[in-house]
Amino acid sequence: MRRAAGCLVAALMLAGQPALADRSDAAKSPRGLGSEGYDWHRMTPERSEIVKLKGRPAPGREAFRGCRGCHKAEGEGLIDGTYPRLTGQHASVIIKQVTDVRAGIRVNPKMEPFASDHAMSPQEIADIAVFLSEAETAKENGKGPDPATAAGKALYEGRMCHTCHGGRGEGDRVQAYPALAAQHYGYLLREMEHIRDRTRSNSHPNMVRSVANLSRQQLEEIANYLSRLPDFRKAGP
Amino acid sequence: MTRPRAFLRSLAPLGVALVLCIGAAPGARADGKEKLKESLQLCAACHGADGNSVVPQNPRLAGLDEEYLERQLEDFKSGARPSAVMAAIVASIDSKVIDDLAHHYSEQKPAKGPPVDAKLAAQGKAIYDEGIVGNAVPACSGCHNDDGSGTDKYPRLAGQHPAYVADQMQRFRSGERANDTKSVMRAVAKRMSDGEIKAVAEYVATLTGGAQ
Repeated sequence: MRRAAGCLVAALMLAGQPALADRSDAAKSPRGLGSEGYDWHRMTPERSEIVKLKGRPAPGREAFRGCRGCHKAEGEGLIDGTYPRLTGQHASVIIKQVTDVRAGIRVNPKMEPFASDHAMSPQEIADIAVFLSEAETAKENGKGPDPATAAGKALYEGRMCHTCHGGRGEGDRVQAYPALAAQHYGYLLREMEHIRDRTRSNSHPNMVRSVANLSRQQLEEIANYLSRLPDFRKAGP
Repeated sequence: MTRPRAFLRSLAPLGVALVLCIGAAPGARADGKEKLKESLQLCAACHGADGNSVVPQNPRLAGLDEEYLERQLEDFKSGARPSAVMAAIVASIDSKVIDDLAHHYSEQKPAKGPPVDAKLAAQGKAIYDEGIVGNAVPACSGCHNDDGSGTDKYPRLAGQHPAYVADQMQRFRSGERANDTKSVMRAVAKRMSDGEIKAVAEYVATLTGGAQ
């Protein structure tokens, strides 16, 4: 009897709480990293379609409305890194990440409801991507705690991160490797952990190897360094 | 636990509607304009002639997007949006008149929202403008706009009755209402507590949607 009452109390308490399961931002995917034939570079049908479209920044700003609830008006995200800064990101990167979420290759339950084809048509994705790549914000990004960045720079280069993400953290537009300079510290750190722990399901296998076996402190140093690099568009050649 | 009483209360407008239906029966051969007029009488009993309902449980319709209104009425008809009251009423209205009704209410001028609890509304404003970061709730303003005016994809909320908004959000959360496209609103509501829903519902009543 007492157990039944206890169950009832527990059930009532649970009923008053919203479901928790869909708030994570990364999980493994049967179509992602580690699955048979997984190829980071392979174009999904939707991505092939979108890269052929001409993105237009003005309609992109309009279409970005539905994203502002998290990524904010200029795509600046949240300074604590809960939501990444998208301002200045390569259009190719935005397109790959959004289409990977839609294809279930990147599992991100937190974002999925807002990345559906109702929220964004293929043309709108193309428009949003160009808008973000050209967007400017006066808002500071979230910086790591240490003004000294030498240790992070040494790790970044020692682990060959710069061969894909560039010496200024500028990424690679053609390959759709993300720009990392001036990203929020909290986001950089969290994603590197997801990649290391293989919970970010659309990771590049080389990326997983680069951060494998790095300690939390080493990842903090890399994130600290990247967060303190200036926006690559303003950093000069 | 309040369900049975709430259900009985929800039947009250149905009674009004039935009386009006019977009263309206002789006009069956009326032309389009008269059909609309007859139907408007039905709607006005609960939503007000100008769509600015004064009953907290009945939504204000004035100034809502025409397509949104049309879709809701069709969804009541098909059962995609369950409501015993609305299903009974729209069953007697054909699609052409539904379009006219949606057009009519979209053209009405929205009145200022009802009075609210200022303290609760202030809590709601924080959620509406900034979301609930720890629980992955986006800012409502992202889709519904800072002033609650809505967009072509997401409905206007400005000046709506808090009791209605909170009730609908709870229905989205439980899945009882599931006619939101791609379950966007269900996903958001599932991440919110009763208190958060109540606060944000209070705040939207204070918004003007740009109309002054």
